[in-house]
Amino acid sequence: MIDVFINLCTSTLLAATPILLAAVGGLYTYHADVFNIAMEGMILIGAFMGILGSYLTGSWALGVLFAIVAGLIVAALFACFAVTMKTDVFVTGIAVNMLALGGTTYALRQLFHVKGALIDPAIRSMPRWELPLIEHVPIIGDILSGHPFIVYVAIAVVFLASHHLYRTPYGLRLRAVGEDAKAIDSIGLHARWMKTSAVLISGVLCSLGGVFLSLGYVTLFAENMSAGRGWISLAVIILTKGRPVNVLLMVLVFGFFDGLGLSLQNTVIPPQFTQMLPYVATLVALYGYSRRSTAKAVRVHDDPRREHG
Amino acid sequence: MRTPILAAPVGIGCAFLAGFLLLLTQGYPAGASFSSLFAYSLSLPQALFNTLYKATPLILTGLSASVAFGAGAINLGQVGQFLIGAIAVTIVGIYLPLPAPLMIPALILTALAAGAFWAGIAAFLKRKFGMNEFISTLMLNAIAEHLTVYLVTGPMRDRSLYSAMSAPIRASGWIGSPAGFPLVFLVACIAFIAVRFYWNRTKTGYEMKMMGRNALFSRIGGCANDKNFTKAMLLSGALAGLAGALLILGGGQHRFLKGFEANYGWDGVMIAIVAGGSVGATGLYGLFFAMLQTGAIGMELETSVPSEFVMVFQAIIVLFVVAARESFHGCIDRIVATLKARRIVE
Repeated sequence: MIDVFINLCTSTLLAATPILLAAVGGLYTYHADVFNIAMEGMILIGAFMGILGSYLTGSWALGVLFAIVAGLIVAALFACFAVTMKTDVFVTGIAVNMLALGGTTYALRQLFHVKGALIDPAIRSMPRWELPLIEHVPIIGDILSGHPFIVYVAIAVVFLASHHLYRTPYGLRLRAVGEDAKAIDSIGLHARWMKTSAVLISGVLCSLGGVFLSLGYVTLFAENMSAGRGWISLAVIILTKGRPVNVLLMVLVFGFFDGLGLSLQNTVIPPQFTQMLPYVATLVALYGYSRRSTAKAVRVHDDPRREHG
Repeated sequence: MRTPILAAPVGIGCAFLAGFLLLLTQGYPAGASFSSLFAYSLSLPQALFNTLYKATPLILTGLSASVAFGAGAINLGQVGQFLIGAIAVTIVGIYLPLPAPLMIPALILTALAAGAFWAGIAAFLKRKFGMNEFISTLMLNAIAEHLTVYLVTGPMRDRSLYSAMSAPIRASGWIGSPAGFPLVFLVACIAFIAVRFYWNRTKTGYEMKMMGRNALFSRIGGCANDKNFTKAMLLSGALAGLAGALLILGGGQHRFLKGFEANYGWDGVMIAIVAGGSVGATGLYGLFFAMLQTGAIGMELETSVPSEFVMVFQAIIVLFVVAARESFHGCIDRIVATLKARRIVE
């Protein structure tokens, strides 16, 4: 019984990590009023470049570095179009996602000559960290200790981002940009640059989420590996209205359903139904959110077309 | 959209240049690659017919996205509606014994209804509970994917075969390709003409367009926005469902193969985006993307550029066309503003 509980908690944590990282990245863009639907693509690029870096250099750390740089490049591309050239964010985001999907599929074929999935002994995955002290606490130690370091980064990042967004001048300005970009320009700050910085931060965090997918518990890359995690992160941000702690809680709930799906995999229920759980959970959460908020008072964020159409 | 006519050639030209450079940097003969792309997609008759076959689902998913976006409904559920349309047709096609003149219309109606049903769930959730269709359609995509994979790997699987696929539908439901010409393309053409008429020539079509441009305006003007939203979602879903079904009816295997949906759903979204809300342009871009995808196979055969290159190339085209369009507008606006300012000063 205890084993089942520990398993479930661990799988919750692992399933939540990539979504959490992406969602925290998305918090920055949400508060800067950039509708960032390119997260899906950023995660995918991060996952691929992590594998590529690790394969080429034989070091997981360089793999992570590769991913971060790639995340920055994709974010810069997105910002260049959506923020600087002021193209429709919705349209640009979809194009960036497609570029990421096409680009990784093409590169997989071009560099590794495989279709579908890549597994190679030359790829080094991330080491697992045993937490000192906590490691020996029963149950909690079993749940928390012995994961790739990104799991801990993800949890820390939520609180850092919360502090950064609500307790520093940068955060205050960023949120002000989200409220009224022209007002910010008028007092001599550059709203465009603030927005770009938010997009870049989200690029780094999303690509870290991606690296966790490919170099974390498994060591492989598969086509379209992000599998909708960017979309789920976006849904989480919209549903929590961008509050960091609520984001953490909600992502853990999704992680729980994702993990539950994995735990139920060897039972009579077909795996396809258990894999549906996180998506059904999103719908249920959306239902709860929509019932609470009055239908008319939807923020502009929630509906990109109304804003830009 | 004001002047997509000017922006499109510029955007596509730039994209071809970028694609050319990309191939050169990878060490491929770019010129030969592009000429084989055209040769394998446009030369008569077989290559052109292949392009038309490929264009069938692309035009339909493109129309699906175009209609939804045009009416201000963010239906990103083409993938799910495509799959549900296809699986419904497969189920009905296997079990319903009818002669061909009845079977084919029955299957097409099934596809339309199934796709509309899947989009209708999102429309219902929006109308009844105010649930954002943008998120719900995406989640319904994932649910449809898992559901159809379950069906073709489980209860519907043809056990006599190694890979996961359903049994073939009855031969009376097949839409053939006499002399290589895919008749399903004609079905797509009929759908295109019908949607174009509905969109540009009917009252509801006009109301939907107004709703997409300015929902407040259309509501104050007396349009039933709620009803029009549902209609737009149902129409959008039906078109995506038809796209999936035609690949079963007119495909080589007449079976539901696991993963046969490829990227048609998202390609449709991209086509609608580059077409900028125009139904006519959606048809043209559908043909254009089909040409690229068909020609990519030729590229791979002749100059061994992986056919996946075309996925990158399509995204580049979307980015460039959109950028060209927006910056064109920016330029024109600026010129107009300068002229006006000058007149005031003088």
